[in-house]
Amino acid sequence: MNAAVTVVFALLGVLAVGSALLVVTTRQVVHAALWLVVALGAVAGCYLLLRAEFVAWVQVLVYVGAVVVLLLFALMLTKAPIGVSEDLDAGLAQRVVAAMVALATGALLVTVLVDGFSGEVIDQGATGGAPAIGASVFRSWVLPFEVLSVLLLAALVGAIVLSRRDVPGAGAADSVAGGR
Amino acid sequence: MSAVLVVLLPALPFLAAVLALSVGRAAPRLVAPTVITGTALAWLAALGLLAGDISSGGANVSVAGPVVPTGGPRLGIDLHLDGLAAVVSFMVTTVALAVQVYSTGYLRHDGHARPGPRYPSYAALVAVFTAAMLLVVVADDLFVLIVGWEVMGACSYFLIGHHWEEEGARAAAVKAFVMTRIGDVGLLFGVFALGVGAGSFGIRDVTAAVLSGRMAASTLTAGGLLLLLGVVGKSAQFPLHSWLPDAMAGPTPVSALIHAATMVAAGVYLVARMDEVFLASSTTLVALALVAAITMLGAALAALAQPDLKRVLAWSTVSQLAYMLAALAAGSYVAAGFHLLTHAAFKALLFLCAGAVAHTVGSTLLADMGGLRRRMPLTASVMAVGLLALAGVPPLSGGFSKEAVLGAVEEAALGHSPLPAWAGWVLLLSALATVAVTAAYTTRAWLLAFEGPEAASRAASHGVPVYPPTDPPASMAGPMLLLAVPAALLGLAGLSGSWLPSWLGRGGPGETGVFAAAVEHTLSFGWVTTVASLLLVAVGAGGTFLAWRSAGRTDPALHLGRARALLTEGFRVDEVYQVTVVAAVQALRAVPAWVDRDVIDVYVQGSARTATALGRVLRVSQLGQVQVYIGMALAGATLVGLAAVVAR
Amino acid sequence: MPLLLPLLVATGLFTAGLYGVLARRNAVLVLMGVELMLNAANLMLVAFGAWLADTLLAGQVLTLFVITVAAAEVGLGLAIVLMVYRQRRSIALDEMTDLHESRTAGLS
Repeated sequence: MNAAVTVVFALLGVLAVGSALLVVTTRQVVHAALWLVVALGAVAGCYLLLRAEFVAWVQVLVYVGAVVVLLLFALMLTKAPIGVSEDLDAGLAQRVVAAMVALATGALLVTVLVDGFSGEVIDQGATGGAPAIGASVFRSWVLPFEVLSVLLLAALVGAIVLSRRDVPGAGAADSVAGGR
Repeated sequence: MSAVLVVLLPALPFLAAVLALSVGRAAPRLVAPTVITGTALAWLAALGLLAGDISSGGANVSVAGPVVPTGGPRLGIDLHLDGLAAVVSFMVTTVALAVQVYSTGYLRHDGHARPGPRYPSYAALVAVFTAAMLLVVVADDLFVLIVGWEVMGACSYFLIGHHWEEEGARAAAVKAFVMTRIGDVGLLFGVFALGVGAGSFGIRDVTAAVLSGRMAASTLTAGGLLLLLGVVGKSAQFPLHSWLPDAMAGPTPVSALIHAATMVAAGVYLVARMDEVFLASSTTLVALALVAAITMLGAALAALAQPDLKRVLAWSTVSQLAYMLAALAAGSYVAAGFHLLTHAAFKALLFLCAGAVAHTVGSTLLADMGGLRRRMPLTASVMAVGLLALAGVPPLSGGFSKEAVLGAVEEAALGHSPLPAWAGWVLLLSALATVAVTAAYTTRAWLLAFEGPEAASRAASHGVPVYPPTDPPASMAGPMLLLAVPAALLGLAGLSGSWLPSWLGRGGPGETGVFAAAVEHTLSFGWVTTVASLLLVAVGAGGTFLAWRSAGRTDPALHLGRARALLTEGFRVDEVYQVTVVAAVQALRAVPAWVDRDVIDVYVQGSARTATALGRVLRVSQLGQVQVYIGMALAGATLVGLAAVVAR
Repeated sequence: MPLLLPLLVATGLFTAGLYGVLARRNAVLVLMGVELMLNAANLMLVAFGAWLADTLLAGQVLTLFVITVAAAEVGLGLAIVLMVYRQRRSIALDEMTDLHESRTAGLS
């Protein structure tokens, strides 16, 4: 059982990292979004294996269901090119530097994590179903939860204000851009 | 009760000043009542204290404030009022009250019903000035005294520079401030020396230490000489005297205040208060005597040739202050205090009269006056009282106090005081010569201002509308008449040789110190000096009158010939300072200028250039691309983390 | 299950996301990189929560919060991207250099 879980987790992890790499390297924008679905779904599977069932379903619902759809809409609205496109990436030099920075950061993380946590084992006893999460959120974490709801409301209002064209002020931004 | 009055004495004018300043802009009408009420209340407090002093034969009120933790000599915020302080504070408040009332009339612009826009700050400064002087008078700690002393210096700066739009007034204000400040440095270090020597900054502690012989002779001499420097600066004695004549640029009531009751009186008062320190060291005493001898005669001679009425009075102040210091050098603080009182009365009167004249004539030059006796009968008669008192004609106050000073100096010359006899003789001869010159210049001022033909050119050259001079309004005439009474009668206090010594007494055991036997604590009038001085007054006045007649009723100073220009410019002391001190300082200032420009600025500008150059290099990396910035930030963070991992 | 396994998976996701943020020109793709990095953090939170057997379930609750914040962030980010697109007809990041001081004159 335990070994099987570990193997499945490793496979899901490889899937997640592999599709994440495809997300950031593919030359077709829509493919990038679809690979993102795969990566996020694999992460949701990881959550399941870590006994975080509720988080896994929220991941699927919010990320895969909402965020990716939003991203696809954005791609559509910005008239993203369909098919292979060469100008999705920056120049070669920037890509090399970016890869070096990313690898260095990753190496540092790996060093620290291996140094700190090698040999530690996750006990599979802990569970995280919806009842436990609900009790915890509304008992111990209720204040941050409420603050977060205000934040979401603010983000909602902000997004509406930003995307509407008939709001006073949006025109001013247009005129500034026009004066460039 | 008395203790409360002592605290209220400096506090009331100060509160009045604060109040006047705070309401000054919103309600200018309230300023004059406020400051006059404050000063009048202080006057009442001083009156109460004076009554206690006279009835008990010497006041002795102490107020112990908090002790400042210095880690060294004791420094307490203490006040103490003895007989001298009671009398002087009454004198100060009287003159200040007269000046405040007089100012409401003097600062009234022609054709305006109310005083001008500068009146609120002016009145508040005069009140602060009064409060500072009263603080000096009642201070029982040298640092409390210095606080009042310095506040007076600052107030004198502002008040002399009242007409700040005039170049002369600004220069005079700066000059007064800087020259008194030179003396103040001496005072400060003198206070340090005496305080450390005595183990306390309390004035009575210091004098007690001197009397008991606990203080080292060298400390005593050094401290006394440094204190003398402060006195010389504040009381405008040679060689720091030249600010006082220039201070005439201020409004005339301010001159009255500075010359009569405050500021210059503070120096004399300090010597009188601490005369044990001076009497205990013959070096200090001789220095004091020589300063007084030089100043009294030189200033009187300078007064003889001044073309300006106020400058005549200014030089006479310098000369009369030297009289007081002469009495102190001779060891008689009673005579000095007596002359301080009478001088305050008649000099305040003279300045208020001069202000009345200047107010109506529109100029302070003697050449613009003449024949005013018929135009301004009231002013003329009051002025006559003041001038006769200044000349030292006996029935009036100055006559008695001057005789007291001469008597004390004569005692010193005969070897009856700690002052060496030769210095006593120098002082006596100088004082007798000054008597004659004083009579001469007062006569000259009277003749030129009030007798003779009216000036034909009056006011025409000054752009002031020509109208006949008249006596001043009641707000100005009242204080003048009020001050004329003490100026005339105060001398009678010296009729009995024991009154003043008891009123000015310390009222404590300090009287029985080791110097009690040596120092004359009674007033003494010598018949020889009295007769001699009366003769000299007659000679000086008569000679001037004859010179005036023979010069065709014009300036008798014309007979002085070439010496006149020298005297007019006060023996050109200022020019000597210009050549020596000022030129030397200006030559020296090139050094710090060079250091600043060629040494320090090189580093400053070098760092600026380096930073600019580095900025140019760094600007290359600023592409404006957000991703580059993020990459740099993360690369930097990674490097920091790497360093942490490696360093572990 | 060894703790290191989810941590390494998260590190891989983070590295990939970081590369995406740094190397992509298209603003929407950069946002995708940001999402990957957020997911890496979430995975670590959950993994550490499971490892510590936290009774408050702090790891999972915080993950939920992060997902919420991420949703808000994506909403706002995409709104901004749309606005930029409306004004410039392009969402290429290397063309947005208005923060850069003008080389020719003081004013841009």
